[in-house]
Amino acid sequence: MLGNHLLEIKNLKIDVRVTKTRRLSIVDTASLIIEPGEIIGLIGESGSGKTMLCRSLVGTLGRRGAYIASGELKFDGIDLITAKQSVWNDIRGKRIGYVPQSALAGPNPVMTIGAQLAEAILQDENFPKSDVEKRSLELLNIVQIRRPETVLKQYQHELSGGMKQRVMIACAIAQQPQLIVADEPTTGLDVTVQAEIMELLKQIRKDFNTSIILVSHDLPLINEICDDIVIMHAGTTVEKIPSKSIKASKHPYTLALYNSRIDLVLPKGQLKTINGQPPSVGSWPEGCRFSERCDFVKDKCRTKQDLPLIEIGSNHQTSCLRYDEIAR
Amino acid sequence: MLKNQIARTILGRLGRALSVGFWVMVISFAIMRIIPGDPASARLGGVEEEAIAELRKQLNLDGSIVQQFSRYVIDLLHGNLGTSLQTGRTVIDIIGSTLPLTIYLILFSTFFAVILSIPIGTSIAWSGKAPIVYTFRGITAVILATPNFFIAMVGILIFTVRVNWSPVFGYEPEFPQNLKYLWLPVVVNTLIMTSVVSRVIFSSVVETKEEEFVETGIIRGVGRRRFFWFYILKPSMAPTVVLLSYMMGTMLGATVILETIFTLPGIGREMVNAVLTSDYPVVQGILLIFGVITVFLSFIGDVIAYLLDRRVKI
Repeated sequence: MLGNHLLEIKNLKIDVRVTKTRRLSIVDTASLIIEPGEIIGLIGESGSGKTMLCRSLVGTLGRRGAYIASGELKFDGIDLITAKQSVWNDIRGKRIGYVPQSALAGPNPVMTIGAQLAEAILQDENFPKSDVEKRSLELLNIVQIRRPETVLKQYQHELSGGMKQRVMIACAIAQQPQLIVADEPTTGLDVTVQAEIMELLKQIRKDFNTSIILVSHDLPLINEICDDIVIMHAGTTVEKIPSKSIKASKHPYTLALYNSRIDLVLPKGQLKTINGQPPSVGSWPEGCRFSERCDFVKDKCRTKQDLPLIEIGSNHQTSCLRYDEIAR
Repeated sequence: MLKNQIARTILGRLGRALSVGFWVMVISFAIMRIIPGDPASARLGGVEEEAIAELRKQLNLDGSIVQQFSRYVIDLLHGNLGTSLQTGRTVIDIIGSTLPLTIYLILFSTFFAVILSIPIGTSIAWSGKAPIVYTFRGITAVILATPNFFIAMVGILIFTVRVNWSPVFGYEPEFPQNLKYLWLPVVVNTLIMTSVVSRVIFSSVVETKEEEFVETGIIRGVGRRRFFWFYILKPSMAPTVVLLSYMMGTMLGATVILETIFTLPGIGREMVNAVLTSDYPVVQGILLIFGVITVFLSFIGDVIAYLLDRRVKI
């Protein structure tokens, strides 16, 4: 039974069409709940299905030949799985904002920044055209862009990576959405800029009470600003844990991610890494998908079974079978 | 500040176009002077010195090279490109009577090729369905691999011989009567151009639609028309515009085949005739016009591409 959460994802399964008859699961049993004003960090290695999960929230899975095979996905009570175009028109850009991966994209290269902000602002059909410029400048001020008047007339290739990403955030918050999906918003930016963008997202949550899904593979970066962290591995959500108690994680994968931080390495010490490679889509092991890389693996982990998230503490769920034996 | 930058970029490109134009002029001047042998004596054969000297004077081949060049430039500025050795008509007159036909042919076929290619290229790229894409690729490849004279001949066979919709030969220079003679060559040329242009648009759109900003546009909720223009077409158009301007330039000479098959008195045919009859002033004049038009078209093409997409370096 789905309650009154802002976003609720339950056992979501996303398949992709490989050929006419062949289907491949890229996400299955993903579960996630977001409350208003909450920042959730979605963490996982490449190929764990983070991006696809995000795409399902904005209805662009079809572009990659993927679709939701089963599960539940509700945004503010609206079923997004069966949503028609008219429903999406009310949600996209209005109630859900999106910040893309910075390194790949940024703003539209053939439109000025001003034109794109205007586009985002005028998603509200009743917004007076005469106020668009004023509102654009206001948005650029919120995202702390200097000389906003000049930036309005510029094209994306004239801006730095950090500036582009600030513009994208400005576009995303134009309608004060309830939820912002930020898909690795700081990839490819340098470290100081990354920190600034994180600070900015935090400020936006504070000022507008916006919920944010922050996708990343960089646990230490987002641990600071997120309320909860959801960890994905091989298409499943394996753990949900408050960011404050990340060290008390009961899942070997989370612990391994946490411990493979470069800043934890002692001088002359060795960087801890996670064994092996993430299992590739289509060849996930039966049972626990982390079993082949896990230091704590037992035979019972390898038998074929469903591994639901089990509530083991306040706001702390894990899918590890041996959670009660795992210690740091 | 920004307006200035656009103006500066375009002016810079114009400067380069003008300098290329100058070199086109120099080359068309040099051609008659660097071909082996003396055009005047070659043309007249072994007749007496005086006649040859007279012809040399007429061809502006007497005196030092500097004198020749300055006379050539001064004549050019007066709109004088010389006189045909074959017919005695001025070169300007010859160009004036043959160029419009070729321009009509090129403009019409380019216009229709663009009108057809944009919907074909974008819709096939956007649908991305494998059978449609393969069919499209196959058909265009066949058209491109077929020599244009063959397509023209098939066209004549069907529309002139079988159903008699198109006259066998003849031409009336006035618009719109000329359409009666031009439509079939335009159709043939359009068919070939559409195959090239729609392929280029197709591959640009395939590239564009994978870009992250397109996804961002969808998620921002951009309306359909806006989306089609600003997120699909506009970012994909720059290569097509540059290609079109280049194609239009090269077609000036290439239409000679179509003009010959359809017996149209265009400038391509005039040029080939002049070469065959060693009519040097005509060759020189037509080369100059071709060069100038090509330089102009590529300037326009680059400017449009730049205005559409500022990432384009011109």
